[in-house]
Amino acid sequence: MTTEVALIGGEMPAWSDRQHPQRPPAGSAALVPLVDAVARQLPDGGEALVAGPHADVLLDVLAAHAPTTCLVRAEADAATVAARGVRVLCGTLPKLQETGRYDLVVALDGMGRLCSVEGPQYDWSESLRALHRTLRPGGRLLIAVENDLGVHRLVDLGTPTSPQGDEQWLPIGEYDETKPGSPDRLGAHLSAEGWSLAWLGAAWARPGQPALIAEPEALRAGPAAALAATAARAAGTAYAGHPVLSDPRRLAAAAVRAGLGVEFAAAWLVVAHRGDPSAHPPSATRPPVPPVLLADGPVLALTRDERGTWHRSVLDRGTPTAGRDPARLDGPLPNGRLLEELLIAAAVRYDARAVRALLSRWAAWVGTLPDAARAYATVDNVLLDGDTPALLDPSWRSPEPVATSSAVAAAMRRFADTLMAGGYAHPWPAVTDVETLTAVLTGAAGMRCDRPVPEPQGPLKPVSQRETEEQIRSLRQQLADTRDQLLWHERQLTKREQELARARRTIAMFDGSLGYRAAKLGAAALRTTRKAWRRSRR
Amino acid sequence: MHHANHFYGHAHVLAAYCGLDPADPPRIHGFLQHGWNVLDGLGPETPYLPGLPIFVWSQRTRRRAWSMGRRQATVVGAPYLYLLSLRPAAGPPERSGTIWYPFHGWERQSVAGDHQRLIDEAVATEPGPITFCLYWQEYHNPRIRAAYERAGRVICHGYRGKRWQDTDRQFLHQQLTELRRHRRVASNRLSSAVLYGAVTGCEPAVYGDPMQLNGEDRRLAAWIRRQWPELHGTDPDPVDASASAAAELGADGMVGPDELRALLGWRRPAPTPAIASRA
Repeated sequence: MTTEVALIGGEMPAWSDRQHPQRPPAGSAALVPLVDAVARQLPDGGEALVAGPHADVLLDVLAAHAPTTCLVRAEADAATVAARGVRVLCGTLPKLQETGRYDLVVALDGMGRLCSVEGPQYDWSESLRALHRTLRPGGRLLIAVENDLGVHRLVDLGTPTSPQGDEQWLPIGEYDETKPGSPDRLGAHLSAEGWSLAWLGAAWARPGQPALIAEPEALRAGPAAALAATAARAAGTAYAGHPVLSDPRRLAAAAVRAGLGVEFAAAWLVVAHRGDPSAHPPSATRPPVPPVLLADGPVLALTRDERGTWHRSVLDRGTPTAGRDPARLDGPLPNGRLLEELLIAAAVRYDARAVRALLSRWAAWVGTLPDAARAYATVDNVLLDGDTPALLDPSWRSPEPVATSSAVAAAMRRFADTLMAGGYAHPWPAVTDVETLTAVLTGAAGMRCDRPVPEPQGPLKPVSQRETEEQIRSLRQQLADTRDQLLWHERQLTKREQELARARRTIAMFDGSLGYRAAKLGAAALRTTRKAWRRSRR
Repeated sequence: MHHANHFYGHAHVLAAYCGLDPADPPRIHGFLQHGWNVLDGLGPETPYLPGLPIFVWSQRTRRRAWSMGRRQATVVGAPYLYLLSLRPAAGPPERSGTIWYPFHGWERQSVAGDHQRLIDEAVATEPGPITFCLYWQEYHNPRIRAAYERAGRVICHGYRGKRWQDTDRQFLHQQLTELRRHRRVASNRLSSAVLYGAVTGCEPAVYGDPMQLNGEDRRLAAWIRRQWPELHGTDPDPVDASASAAAELGADGMVGPDELRALLGWRRPAPTPAIASRA
């Protein structure tokens, strides 16, 4: 059912924010439960406004709970949204007139795509005020605030202040001083503007498409290893095959491990109420969302029970994937530190003994796993709680049984690649090829690897400039070393050739010369004489 | 790579440890530390080739090598430790006397000092009979050898070899056998032999005139005494001394056979050169 599009002024006829190649509309599987939870809190008959480009799935979730209106600046986008049966306002934010109409405003795409090229260009704070006006007293706001110092920015090759795309007609980037730069300032700003904060979550790894949404308390005191690994994985997926300044997986893991998961998040998601905080105590208005939401295929919730144990539950099984059974993810979340991090920590200390101890323990455990699960016991998917290993993501099974030795060698191939591509220091610095390092690591795990292990079939990795620079430096060094080695080999060859020439001269002297022949004749005559003398004595 | 890798039959011991023919060890891809030293693990005149590993004994040596610009130092532990693991002691030791290793020079650096004074001090200090173990150079010097023979039994573990020729590949084996026969091991300088003895159950001692290598900086011997006091003196605490010796020999850096084969370049077939894949 197509609805009519209301043109409010300032609409852009030849434009689309939904078809942008680099920046899709806000929306991800992890956002669905959040939007759903907030929509469920709408009063009967309450209306929702979605400001800016949002993915269809979010519009559908909202529309299922309440009459929903969508504000977009591009006419093409307005037509697309209208085709889904959602009421559409098309135009620029300053033209929005619907004061006091809505009970919920959703702006998960941020404030950056609300004003068209026509008319006033609102900064962040003015945009927020404009949205504020559309709410009834007590109405709620769900927005995403991009972190200008988020990991996504730190790894970006470009900067918003160096405009490239057609949409960057006002490239102010971090120079919008009205936009809060930290969760604390965001809270203070909202409070000063008459909002009361009900909930805040940190979103990783891209602002509009988070795969991990976690409350600050969970990031500070929750299952750090699992969250760090999840944030790293989210970053790896978000930047697969993309050129970046440095590997976002490493930054994400380091930030979450260090308790800075909120500070370095790509965005902060906020639920706030319009009006007096005392009228809306957070305990009463907090949306019923789990402390951690993550989407890696299936959508999962992490919750903590009264005893402090973290549990994982599947909210949405996602698209069925061959070899993956999301039901295996239900249950207690394994504790401990990621084996890969422990190995790297030992490697950069040149502590080969610790690496061997970790790998031997792990390899023995891999042998106890079901045949089809072994291939997934890679060191970046194993948590070590004290001495007890556990699969972080146990949902995968390979179609064929995998022998322990093959699983160990393949996992070591993958880890060797991580060590080398990441330029990490390790106890075997002279090993400069992945194949030999794989053999060394497999040996360190107590197994033999005599055949080349094929490169792991996995998703693309981010293409990091820093790692590329390190590889170039290392290759230059190897080239210089190889040149020196070649010269040394040439010197050795020359020495050996001289020795050979001397030996040949000696041989020739004794083999073909007149003197040698005379000596040989003399020796033969002597032997004959001696034999004759011996015979005569018998 | 370098012929020093075969000194004392080190390469042969490692080949045996890796399950290869000890009589014909493959070429080691790198430089194997052939004796305890306070430098980067290489001999003073070893022509190092950049990019190749120095297989050093201990972490301390690796750190020192790094600080000297040697980036490829790799800790593997002393070959002697591998021999110990290949030849565990047969039964309770029957030990007596002292095996005494006078500090020795080498082919291109002779040692200066008064052998007789050293012998007198050893005889006055050691509680039991003394076996003097001479380096092959001193052993083949009739005058020096005679001086030692007047004070005790005199042996030589063999010739360490040169340019892969005449290597006595039983050198370390003989040394291990002798060390297991003695209650004490002593020298006038901290050396590989003292460390070997200390980890083989001998009570170590380092005392007497440290003598001087031709052109050597005398401060070095004093520096070594300051650095490892637990191994110096006529009766150092054997427990502390043994722990210190184990650390210097890299007992915690020993590598398993499969890992060692890969490190030394002894895998078959040899790996194809490749760079780290990035995508």
